[in-house]
Amino acid sequence: MEFLAFASFAVLVVGWLVAPTRSITPVSHAEERKAA
Amino acid sequence: MEKINAGDTAWLLASAALVMLMTPALGFFYGGLVRRKNVLATIMHSFFILCLISVQWVLWGYTLAFGPDIGGIIGGLDWAALRGVGQDPGPYAPTVPHEAYMVFQMMFAVITPALITGAFAERKRFKAFVVFTLLWATFVYDPVAHWVWGGGWLGQLGALDFAGGTVVHITSGVSALVAALVLGRRVGFGREAMDPHDATMTVLGASLLWFGWFGFNAGSAITAGGLAANAFVVTNTAAAMAALTWMTVSWLHKGAPSVLGAAAGAVAGLVAITPASGYVDVSASILIGLGAGIFCYTAIQITKRFKVDDALDVFGVHGVGGAWGALATGVFATVAVNSAAKDGLIAGNPGQLGIQAIAVLASIVYSAVMTFVILKLIDLFVGLRVPESEEVLGLDASQHREAAYQI
Repeated sequence: MEFLAFASFAVLVVGWLVAPTRSITPVSHAEERKAA
Repeated sequence: MEKINAGDTAWLLASAALVMLMTPALGFFYGGLVRRKNVLATIMHSFFILCLISVQWVLWGYTLAFGPDIGGIIGGLDWAALRGVGQDPGPYAPTVPHEAYMVFQMMFAVITPALITGAFAERKRFKAFVVFTLLWATFVYDPVAHWVWGGGWLGQLGALDFAGGTVVHITSGVSALVAALVLGRRVGFGREAMDPHDATMTVLGASLLWFGWFGFNAGSAITAGGLAANAFVVTNTAAAMAALTWMTVSWLHKGAPSVLGAAAGAVAGLVAITPASGYVDVSASILIGLGAGIFCYTAIQITKRFKVDDALDVFGVHGVGGAWGALATGVFATVAVNSAAKDGLIAGNPGQLGIQAIAVLASIVYSAVMTFVILKLIDLFVGLRVPESEEVLGLDASQHREAAYQI
């Protein structure tokens, strides 16, 4: 049981490491004005 | 008769107050998830139920649930209007006043129908909601509470439910699914955005729920001792683990670590550990939290795929989380934690898992059938939904003639 508890937490840590790190590219004011 | 214990009594009354806080907290949790035009109506559901069931419980709810057993099905009316329920200990808790035990149980009876309101948010007529709540508390909650905790047939069978996996969460979660199906989808469902209007309110509500849950689970020990401490620790651990799991799964699935997901995950973990909290150790609580995060998240994706408008995911969190917790109790329970209970599958008693499955099945079938009948009767005589024009206007204006925000 203790092993499974440690293992399940370790799986989450691995999940955070491999999770996507995409971010939304900020739109500049110039681009906003251009789009308008 | 044992003498009243001051420590036990103080802890139970404090726990009752903690559980009381959970219902307005639920109002905030749900209130943040709905659109701006329905926030007051949604919070009112929880606040109104706090008032309604507080009275129903002292008049006839408590005696139906905990009164002297009649055939394993329901309690007798001996304690109607709390006749004979006073300052001396009752049969369920020998070290606290009977009234303290009664008021602690009252708060469970209050929050259970409030959980269902998330399924029919943004479209139910207030009058229908009032009638539904009164009938559901009387004909669903009170009998099932008796079956499990009041000396009824599930308790006699040996079903373990420390703080309400079957009585509170399966009954409310399954009833929520039935309500969502009977009421139908909201106007514009699937065509227009129905995003939460205030995620901060939802996270605050989830945090207050977590706080109150210590009374819900650790208070269910009834005594202020080691069992309460164990329930407190496993409750916190499972909530944290489920929040981490839900956030991670949603991050891998949808590309971002959702804040609302972490809040929903914490609630799912709290739900799942509820029936087990007096029977399992901390390692088991980590696995129960892990399972809650995965199963509840998956259930919600499936519900959405079938386009069921369970508006605030009550079935996924409470129905599935409650069923997982009840079954997990049959897997992980150990007398090392609670010598008055029984071992589960891992400790060498596979029969307990079968008993837990019977309790889960009975709760699902009974609450589903009764909720369907109650809703159909109300639809016949009162009407369940507001007219489409009022739904578009919003329930705050159409049902309460008030607005949540003047800014």
